[in-house]
Amino acid sequence: MNELYPHPRINGPIIQVTRLSKHYSNGHGVIPVLRGVNLEIHPGEMVAVMGPSGSGKSTLLFILGLLLPASSGNYQFLGQDVLNLSRTDQADFRRRRVGFVFQNCDLFENSTVYENLEFPLVYAQVERHERPARIVAALERVNLAHRLRHPANRLSGGERQRVAVARALVNQPQVILADEPTGQLDRQNGHMIMENFKQIMAQGDTSLVIVTHDTQVAECCHRTFSLEDGVLYES
Amino acid sequence: MRFSDLIRVSIRQLVRHRRRYWGVMLAIALGTAGFITIITMGRDLKQNFNRDLELLGRATLVKVYFERLPAYFHQNFTSATVQALRKMQGVRDASLAVCTYMAQSSNNGVAHNFSLFGVDNAFWDVCGFTTQDGRLTSLADNDLRQRVVVLGPELAQTLFGRKDVVGKKLEIQQDIYTVVGVLKNVGLGDLSHFAFMPFTTAQDRILRISPANRIYLRTLTWDDVDKVAPLIPQVIQSVQYAPGLKVEVAWDQVKRVKAVAFWVQLFIYSSIVATLILGGVGIWTVMMAAVRTRTREIGLKKAMGAEDQAIMAQFLAEAVCLSFTASLAGSFVGLLTVEVTSHLISSHPPQGLFLFCVILGLVVAVGLGVAAGLYPSLQASRMEVVSAIRYE
Ligand SMILES: Nc1ncnc2c1ncn2[C@@H]1O[C@H](COP(=O)(O)OP(=O)(O)OP(=O)(O)O)[C@@H](O)[C@H]1O
Ligand SMILES: [Mg+2]
Repeated sequence: MNELYPHPRINGPIIQVTRLSKHYSNGHGVIPVLRGVNLEIHPGEMVAVMGPSGSGKSTLLFILGLLLPASSGNYQFLGQDVLNLSRTDQADFRRRRVGFVFQNCDLFENSTVYENLEFPLVYAQVERHERPARIVAALERVNLAHRLRHPANRLSGGERQRVAVARALVNQPQVILADEPTGQLDRQNGHMIMENFKQIMAQGDTSLVIVTHDTQVAECCHRTFSLEDGVLYES
Repeated sequence: MRFSDLIRVSIRQLVRHRRRYWGVMLAIALGTAGFITIITMGRDLKQNFNRDLELLGRATLVKVYFERLPAYFHQNFTSATVQALRKMQGVRDASLAVCTYMAQSSNNGVAHNFSLFGVDNAFWDVCGFTTQDGRLTSLADNDLRQRVVVLGPELAQTLFGRKDVVGKKLEIQQDIYTVVGVLKNVGLGDLSHFAFMPFTTAQDRILRISPANRIYLRTLTWDDVDKVAPLIPQVIQSVQYAPGLKVEVAWDQVKRVKAVAFWVQLFIYSSIVATLILGGVGIWTVMMAAVRTRTREIGLKKAMGAEDQAIMAQFLAEAVCLSFTASLAGSFVGLLTVEVTSHLISSHPPQGLFLFCVILGLVVAVGLGVAAGLYPSLQASRMEVVSAIRYE
């Protein structure tokens, strides 16, 4: 399914994280957020991460997406250690492997929906004539093809969230890291997003890590984890 | 990131945030337009000043004559000599004159002595004389050897007791002349007491008139004086035998005019440079502000895999597009100004120079964009992803 970067078929886990810890330091001292997280995700798997506010769920996703360096621990992606990549290789990793949906569903405000979805393709150097088809296909997955030329700052909250999901899909990544992508959606639309994720994961080469507070969403996933006191428990 | 995408995205940004960029673009456009106009029109404007500003007076006037020694009393210049001088580079025109200091007239039975010039019609333009009343002598007056005189205002006063004497008759050496004009008393000096008549008439009718032994020559601009003056003897001697030749230049005035021109030019150039610096500082501030307000956008782009260089290139391209567009607009304004001014002073500015200025202006603008945009772009490219995304 992925014509962009054919994913190597592998049997082992796509993501393998061991004893991962992360602490922030501010002026007053260090704030430990993650302490020894272990996580293994296989191709085609859907994983939900739950946990109270401020427990470090977003932090975990950032580290998985190489948006934030870990303090210590080990992170292997397709068997390759990715924590010590150079800045350029990190960018390359984010471009090819990861689709990110942010918690506050940041969009490019002064741009249209189309332009928002175009940026990942621009950075991936996709030929210009190939872009419209991909963008429309991604938007169709979230039922927003009719908003193609709509300015991003005139979308409703739910529409923004769906555009953010479509933007994470457009590059056909190996891992989708979604931080509460259904938070603002009604049940029907939330269901639609999850069905879409299911369809994509069913093809077997993409995995999903989704942070959510919604148990119904978590039930759609293969496994559910909860993050408490910096440690990840499978429930 | 592809180049075509880079440019497309940058221009889109500029267009969408055009309000933010207006002021800076205006400054750069004006600077460029001023630069192009001043450089292209500089020489023509100088010539025009030279023609119009009486203040220049004798600075660009060169007088050529023979030393007043008995050996040279009968030397004269030929019209071929005047032609040769006219063709020199940097010379606007040259005029040949004869003169006597002992012309006599009797008016109402009272006799007067005064000086008299016989001049060709180029004389007036060369010396910058105009009339306050009536007209100057013309080519036709010269061809037809008309008996007409133009009087200096003081002479008119002495002869007639008043200055509005156009149409009056004046007797000079038993011939009756018509006064056709009275000169304006600006920059005349002693010549205010002189009378002027057509060159040919003077040669024909005035007793003891001198040989044609003086040439007045006007250069195009004050910068031409020191180039033209030293070459004059050479040019004359290639046409005729001319011992005892003297070339007189009002070096003092040339120096003073040059000093004034220098300060004026310095002022103009420094205001252009100031405008451009202002533009540069403007780009800097605008880009710094853009980097700050677009922090989240930068974080997002990095999160979707934009490399540091891509972010940097993006902001740099915006700065360059900004200054380049502004400079391009300035070039059009410059073209317009050059067209209008050259129409007004009816001159033909050199096309090559204009093109050179436009290209130089664009190159400088790109340089300005890069220089002023570099630091903000660098700042943008160095941002950490998460702190950028969590930035409020
Ligand atoms: N840059 C930082 N410096 C200091 N502390 C930080 C920083 N970023 C996050 N934190 C702290 O780390 C903790 C974890 O933050 P994180 O955003 O991962 O929580 P979360 O589980 O996503 O919460 P929520 O469900 O509310 O989104 C919080 O207590 C937060 O205050
Ligand atoms: Mg969070």
